[in-house]
Amino acid sequence: MSIETKMAWRNIWRNPRRTILTGCAITFATVLLVFMLSFQFGSYETMINTSVKISSGHLQIQAEKYQEKKSIRLVIPEPRAIAEIVDQIPEVAAYTFRGQAFSLISSKDRTYGVVVTGIDPQKEITVSRIKKLVQAGNFLAAEDVNQALVGNLLAKNLRVSIGDELTLLGQGRDGSIGATVVQVKGIFRSGIDEFDRSAMQIPLSTFQDTFSMEEAVHEVVVIGKSLSDVSRIKTQLKAALSVLDNRKPLKTLDWQELMPGLRQAIEMDLVSGLIFYGLLIIVVAFSILNTFLMAIFERTKEFGVMMAVGTTPRRLTKILLIESMSMTLISIITGICIGIGITYYFQIHGIDFSGGSELLSQFGITGRMYPKLSLLSVSIGPFMVLFFTFFAALYPALKVRRLRPVEAMTAI
Amino acid sequence: MNQLAIKYIILILLLTLTFISPCPALDADEIVTAGFNYWRGKASVGTVEMLIHREDWQRSMTIKAWTRGQKDSLFYIAAPPKDYGNGTLKKGREMWIYNPKVNRVVKVPPSMMSQSWMGSDFSNNDLAKSDSLLLDYHHSIIGTETHEGKTVYIIKSMPKPNAPVVWGMQHLKIREDQIWLSEEFFDEDLEPVKIMTAMEIQMLGGKLFPRVWRMRNVDEQDRYTQLTYESLEFKSSLPDRLFTLSSLKQRRR
Repeated sequence: MSIETKMAWRNIWRNPRRTILTGCAITFATVLLVFMLSFQFGSYETMINTSVKISSGHLQIQAEKYQEKKSIRLVIPEPRAIAEIVDQIPEVAAYTFRGQAFSLISSKDRTYGVVVTGIDPQKEITVSRIKKLVQAGNFLAAEDVNQALVGNLLAKNLRVSIGDELTLLGQGRDGSIGATVVQVKGIFRSGIDEFDRSAMQIPLSTFQDTFSMEEAVHEVVVIGKSLSDVSRIKTQLKAALSVLDNRKPLKTLDWQELMPGLRQAIEMDLVSGLIFYGLLIIVVAFSILNTFLMAIFERTKEFGVMMAVGTTPRRLTKILLIESMSMTLISIITGICIGIGITYYFQIHGIDFSGGSELLSQFGITGRMYPKLSLLSVSIGPFMVLFFTFFAALYPALKVRRLRPVEAMTAI
Repeated sequence: MNQLAIKYIILILLLTLTFISPCPALDADEIVTAGFNYWRGKASVGTVEMLIHREDWQRSMTIKAWTRGQKDSLFYIAAPPKDYGNGTLKKGREMWIYNPKVNRVVKVPPSMMSQSWMGSDFSNNDLAKSDSLLLDYHHSIIGTETHEGKTVYIIKSMPKPNAPVVWGMQHLKIREDQIWLSEEFFDEDLEPVKIMTAMEIQMLGGKLFPRVWRMRNVDEQDRYTQLTYESLEFKSSLPDRLFTLSSLKQRRR
């Protein structure tokens, strides 16, 4: 151990109470940052996964411009060809076909405009959680015809319950008028009001008959094995689709493009989080600055003596920096350890959000929330603390260089 | 002479006067009301071919239409066979749709009134609120031009305060012989949205009438809906029972 390190180490413990207090501030900030960031990242993943599993899927293949226009005419004419492509991508966990049409739905005395989705009941359950969301009645079965699932708010608005008939009126793919009568088989509740108020699902075969779709569908919904696979699947799909000979170009969209609202909500939450963390780090940095400035004022006489016996200002700066950095490092490491411990506990046991606010329920978060530890969430906060405390410590360390030995020795 | 006869004479005198005098200082409100009434007639029965044109696709339907006064209309699709028998009843500002396949009548909810009617460029509101132009707007003449040797009044219609209107402004072109030449619709920012133009003015149902009407979105040249009258007959009245829900449900020939 060099002389500087030895001196610095001893200096740290000259006033243990102050050192421990400052250290605790840094440790606390680190713990908070590790936990909060893990929690935020975890909640984003929950939000994405729940939203994705209710409606959009991780990725969708659609006809070009379908996402903007939602016109029934913008179809994927041969979904089987797409299925062959998707089957060959190893990262894909599941996929399904859907058709969508805006229609008038009316019960005996009420009429609403609703997005009717045609789903393949067997494949749908591998992609979405809809089956688990069915509150009353049953999910569609493979052989069902003219049966429907409706959202609980829509059912309430239409004043229908299981077994009631609904008339469906819309426009078919060829411009003709599509009409049919369906029976309510199940009522689902996702917790996302918008979805529960305006969604209705019918078997894809019924959908295709009613809206003169023939074989065509509007969306191929793809779920990857994990969220991180999405970009890889997207590149592969894009490459495969561009080779496919199609009269109308198809487009691959990921969840961010499918649900821009969700991405914006995440970005907004992240920014407000970052502001909070920024404030936290600044407070910690000032407390470090304070500690070291105090130390210098206290030790002016000592520095004077050291300079008088030949210590170079450079060496003094070095000692002071080693002091502050080792203290910060120890605190940060302790903080990371405690932070990981706490986060890990909640990662397993979850945090109860069952009283979840309206805002959260919009994103499908209704039960427990789980923070998620990742290299990023564990390292980014502590690194920022280290970075800012270094600058806070630099100022007093450089200030020492301007001391004059004689004046310093006479200082109190 | 009794009082009634005097009234009649005065009325006839007034009417002849209006016909004789060139009457340059016409009131805009009168022009619009007269034009509208000329267009709709007291009652009419007609067959219209509706062509929905899109960039890559088009489709036509034959519609049988009954109208009465300014408010009541009944439409039936006669062709293509796939859509045969679909009907729309408009009474006042309410609309109902009938579909023969499911044999149900559905009332169009207020939230759906801005949706397109049968996939055309006409919205349900365009049909249901057609008389809104007379009731909810102030009209003023902003210019004149000539068309086939006749004066055409260009009229600016601004909504009355608090009127439940769809459009922020409308520009009308009405010829002096009361023929409606065009109607342009503007949004609340006074940006043009769509325009309906009348073409091929000829004798139809006993009077000069534009045979072709075209509704087009202002920013899309290749997207329009065109109505062509195949036949049109003006009547002095149509029975009440025609404009009822039970009449809507009846299958038509």
